[in-house]
Amino acid sequence: MKIFYSLTILLLLLFTACTQEQNSKIIISTNPWIGYTPLYYAEKKGYLKDINMQLITNVSLAESTALYDVGKVDMITATQHEYYSLRETEHNIVPIILLDRSNGGDMILSNKTIPEIQKAKKIYAYLEIDSINAEVLEDFMHYYKLDKDKIEFINKDQAQMLDLQNNPKHTLLIVSYSPYDITLKKHGFHTVASTKDMRSIIVIDALFTDKKILQTEKKRLRKLKKIIDRSIQEIQADTKGSFIIVKAFLGDIGYNDYLESLKLIKWINNPSEKLLKRIKPMGFDKNILIQ
Amino acid sequence: MKKTNISIKIFSFIIVTTLFLSGIFIFYKFYDDSRDTTEHLLEENIQYNLLDIKYFLEKNLKKNNINQLRSYLNNIVYTNQIIGDLHLLDNHKQLIYATKNDIEVKEKENCIHISKIIDSDLFKQECYTFKIKLYDQLTPYYYTASIYLDNDYLDSLLKDKIVKYTLFFIIYIIIYVLLLWFLIRKIIISPLEELRRFAYYSTEAPRSFLIKEFESIRYSLMLTFRRLKKEQEELYNLSTKDPLSGLYNRLSLMEKITWLISKSQRTNEEFALLFLDLDNFKNINDSRGHEFGDQVLKHIADVLLSSVRENDTVSRLGGDEFVLVLADIKNNNIILDVIKRIQSSLKEPIHFENYKYHITCSIGIAIYPKDGESSTELLKNADIAMYKAKALGKNNFYFFTEHLNQEVQERVEIQRLIHTALENNNFKLYYQPKVTIKTNQIVACEALIRLEEPQKNLLIPPNKFISVAEESNLIIPLGEWIFKEAVKQIKRWENTPYKDIKISINVSGVQFKDKAFLAKVEEIIKDVDRSKLDIELTESVLMNNFDEKFEIIHAFKKLGLSLSLDDFGTGYSSLSYLKDIPFDTLKIDKSFIDDIEEGKDNSFIKMIVTIAEELGLEVVAEGVETKEQLIYLQKINCSQYQGYYCSKPLPVKEFEALFEKQHCSKK
Repeated sequence: MKIFYSLTILLLLLFTACTQEQNSKIIISTNPWIGYTPLYYAEKKGYLKDINMQLITNVSLAESTALYDVGKVDMITATQHEYYSLRETEHNIVPIILLDRSNGGDMILSNKTIPEIQKAKKIYAYLEIDSINAEVLEDFMHYYKLDKDKIEFINKDQAQMLDLQNNPKHTLLIVSYSPYDITLKKHGFHTVASTKDMRSIIVIDALFTDKKILQTEKKRLRKLKKIIDRSIQEIQADTKGSFIIVKAFLGDIGYNDYLESLKLIKWINNPSEKLLKRIKPMGFDKNILIQ
Repeated sequence: MKKTNISIKIFSFIIVTTLFLSGIFIFYKFYDDSRDTTEHLLEENIQYNLLDIKYFLEKNLKKNNINQLRSYLNNIVYTNQIIGDLHLLDNHKQLIYATKNDIEVKEKENCIHISKIIDSDLFKQECYTFKIKLYDQLTPYYYTASIYLDNDYLDSLLKDKIVKYTLFFIIYIIIYVLLLWFLIRKIIISPLEELRRFAYYSTEAPRSFLIKEFESIRYSLMLTFRRLKKEQEELYNLSTKDPLSGLYNRLSLMEKITWLISKSQRTNEEFALLFLDLDNFKNINDSRGHEFGDQVLKHIADVLLSSVRENDTVSRLGGDEFVLVLADIKNNNIILDVIKRIQSSLKEPIHFENYKYHITCSIGIAIYPKDGESSTELLKNADIAMYKAKALGKNNFYFFTEHLNQEVQERVEIQRLIHTALENNNFKLYYQPKVTIKTNQIVACEALIRLEEPQKNLLIPPNKFISVAEESNLIIPLGEWIFKEAVKQIKRWENTPYKDIKISINVSGVQFKDKAFLAKVEEIIKDVDRSKLDIELTESVLMNNFDEKFEIIHAFKKLGLSLSLDDFGTGYSSLSYLKDIPFDTLKIDKSFIDDIEEGKDNSFIKMIVTIAEELGLEVVAEGVETKEQLIYLQKINCSQYQGYYCSKPLPVKEFEALFEKQHCSKK
């Protein structure tokens, strides 16, 4: 009889073990951006795997956003622009972990100088319209009082823009961000404005997810926050080592470019109260953010 | 608490049912998983299609150019089986495109956002929506796209799956259950049933079983039954056979006779029962020991078995008694042939340990149905006939007759009367005077027993019952009674005119078998004048086991009793008795006296009287009935006589009256 009871208990335990749901995998959609390096680093180091998360990379933010939009991924790395766009389209999306703020990482490149641009009758502006590029360009236009009517807005992905060649006959504006700017600079373009010197705009990169996931996966998200903190610390402590680990995510850049790119952002994973206060109206509520 | 028993069939049914239900559950889960997988694949398909559409529209859609894109959108819908329709609404919620124009615009409430596709049930959800972000320069505006699923196609997918799985499940379950049932029956139920039958009937052992435990039970049962059968046979032999001779015992014999009676009742065939008793077997046992006796019995068993026919039965009842049942007797010759063969075989002496022994037997024959209709009756009558054969001189056989039966019945009746008489004091002592010839004075008497039969008011003479009493050993209590009664009489006669009368008592040889005989006599005579008591012993009493009796007889003498040798001249008339035993009196047998007048045996009488004189013994002539006899006896100096000439045996009162007359001369 004892054997019978033991077997029954064992079977029940096995049954319970079989039926107990494992944590479902959380998929994070991202795209190449120096500010998302901690996630690439964590993915490569296996930190994400430890908490059953996976990173998938896309060519552009738009593509990444589209994946989130159709429900293919659970989290997304994006700027406030994508955040607003998705919020507009019936998504209960919220920012959960701040990653970086652009400090020159977003920039406007041109084949002309500012005065030449201002004097130009026709300007061709290349940008990912459905991205922070639009806000950066608008700020630039507003700052340099450029008439919208003389500008032709051309919507292209960053990858598409890499083929752009310097044509001195035309005045070109390219809204880009690191590390795509490196290639463009090699094509003869130079930075005419960047988030480093554009005071009126602040570009925040963060990790976003659905409110439901925030509620149900809070524990894992806290672990993710710790992983990101740890990754940033390790990147900062060993840039060379981190470059080797993450370079595949950032395209064809060298170590120096990597170092330069890192200078174009500021880590805000542990933001100051001042910053939090400033970005609160932008929808980054500190009560929601995982600290 | 009483445990409920269930049959192996019900248990198997429960197992099969449980497996069936488990199968349903597993198949349901399998189907459900398959459905989920299908749903997931379809969802991915939809998601990627929508991504393409969304990407295409966001890149190419501008205000008022929908017609340029229509063919592309149509292609997407028509080439995709899952998508049934695509609707495009502008930023004013106006439908600007529908793949299938004939379909009414459906309510938006039926649609959910595409991002919720994973949480939705694809097979129930009608449509999914997504926003298309367009720009007017840098100003965004949104169109809405609604994808309607082809529910008929999805239903057919599901239905196909359900039909396929259900069919597969039913076929599988039927085959599985049938196979399982067949295997359970073949491997468990049938062996168990065979084991049950084997355990119940214990006849033919089942074949070997596949299941080790069953095989172990089967083997154990086989061993147990084999042992039981052996024990059963041993028990059967013990209960039906005589362990010494190996012949059938009484129980089997009775069964055989009963069976033959039943058979004979149907076939009217006769059968014979031969009751065989070895002559003087007791002597063999006594002289050569029981071991030798057993060897003799085995030899007899062999002789009997070799003497009967194949279908005859030989049994040993016990001791030296054997019974032969000869079936289907057409005539007595068959019986006589068997007896002849037995006697012929027994003619040869038995050789044991360099010792030869001749043995004979007496056979009594009873025939069914003439001599009895039941086994008991047949056996009893054969026994009676055997006794008759033995009485005829042994080594003989005798057919049972009704006359013989009556004789036996008479003896049985007398035996009963002796019993009753002992209990009810129906015995009486009669006294026959012994007269001194010279003085004609009654000086003594012989106490003679008489049995009164009160119901018939009969007086039964001793020759009718003494032999019966001796055969049945009733002579022992009867002899004791006679002693007591005679002693009482002597006591009564003390201090009376009869005080000198000496009473003679006859003692049977059987009384000497009583180990307490001497002690009893001693006790009885302790308060009486022993010179008034005389014990008469016949030669026949002395002939058997003389040595054993010798000491007791001498003890009587020592007690002060006088001894008379009765019926002298009829036996061996061995003078050695007169030498070894201190007799006081010789009694000449009546047969000599009867012949006096003819003068045949007078010299013998004279010689006896002379011997007695020489030895200083008294001589009493028995059975004197005539004056001539008395005169002769007087002439040869015979001292006393006894007989009807003086008086027949008389009751005590009459004897006393005769004594008082002081003479016995009638004439």
